[in-house]
Amino acid sequence: MFVIVTYDINEKRVNKVRKILKKYFTWVQNSVFEGEITLGKLEKCKRELLSVIEKDEDSVYFYEMEYKLVCSKKILGQEKNYDSIII
Amino acid sequence: MQKTLYITSNGRLRRHENTLYFESGEEKRAVDIENIEQIHIFGEVDLNTKALNYISQYGIILHFYNYYGFYSGSFLPRKKNVSGEVVVRQALHYLERKKRLFLAYCFVESAVYHMMRNLRERKEAESFLTAIEDEWEKGRFAISSVAELMGLEGRIRNIYYQSFNQFLPDDFAIEKREKRPPTNPINALISFGNSLIYSHTLSQIYQTQLDPTISFLHEPSEKRFSLSLDISEIFKPLIIDTLIFKLLNNHKITLEHFDEDLNYCYLNQDGRKIFIKELQTKLETTVRHRQLNRNVSYKGFIKLECYKLIKHFISDQVYSPLKAWW
Repeated sequence: MFVIVTYDINEKRVNKVRKILKKYFTWVQNSVFEGEITLGKLEKCKRELLSVIEKDEDSVYFYEMEYKLVCSKKILGQEKNYDSIII
Repeated sequence: MQKTLYITSNGRLRRHENTLYFESGEEKRAVDIENIEQIHIFGEVDLNTKALNYISQYGIILHFYNYYGFYSGSFLPRKKNVSGEVVVRQALHYLERKKRLFLAYCFVESAVYHMMRNLRERKEAESFLTAIEDEWEKGRFAISSVAELMGLEGRIRNIYYQSFNQFLPDDFAIEKREKRPPTNPINALISFGNSLIYSHTLSQIYQTQLDPTISFLHEPSEKRFSLSLDISEIFKPLIIDTLIFKLLNNHKITLEHFDEDLNYCYLNQDGRKIFIKELQTKLETTVRHRQLNRNVSYKGFIKLECYKLIKHFISDQVYSPLKAWW
């Protein structure tokens, strides 16, 4: 499935969250990640996040799509291509 | 779907912030390590044990290629799927002459089938197709040893490569298949593709319980993971050759994508990128599987061959090699 993750976290914990998300998704913009992921991995990621965030202060949004083709991405300005598999 | 990463530029691969970073000059790129299955490294890349230790935690396989794009080796993390029983039974199939010949025959049969499949749609190559058919029908019942089988396969492959001249652009005339080193563009392209399919197959074998060193068509004493050579025999015509036809006939790869040295020829970085990109789309293309009743990618078919072999070894189901039905 294809997932877009956005987050708003207290400064104290934001780096911890960023580092966790980095393992699973590709960085798109500040506080935004996206990527293809399996259901199991997504669950694992959520577990890891739950152990870090304060539920009454922080929030992480997951926009989950069954296929990547469901959403089309339009870009104004700079495109940062970080998800190519050929470096 | 686990991703494959190809690194064609030079730089450093390192563990940083609990994930993998690829740094080349000023540029830094984080890699989502959880979704990576294998990394193919073509450029000059530095990495240290810290990175290797981390990579092996995730069971990621590294494949290294030399300056000319030939496979030079792999870093295989500790194998997680081990089964002594399968290995013993696999060895048993090697030791018994008849059993070994059966498996070797299966690989060649499938390879020949896919070669003929490639030529079937092409009117220009009709005479070559009948020549292959004749050779195969004449030879296949007279085989009594693996060496003879290899000979037959070699003869068929010769005819097959000759037929390329009929439908590929004139720039890419093939006089003779030459390896070590390839001397003209088409040979370079075939060699590069075969290196890639070899390591892709190895990655798939490594995820199963099979022992990649015990092979049937090739001799296990070849100092290589020769089971990978056996299985890639099936997929070379199915994946790589069709890819080459497509790239050359659509002029996506032209002569300018090759560097030529004194009696040496190889694909340059741009050419490699184009080739890898096409290969990756091909590997991810799915086909509906009739028995499994689900879509299976070309990469998945490589793994399915491994599973079929395991089933054969533990005498569950007799191995029948893949014959593309689509």
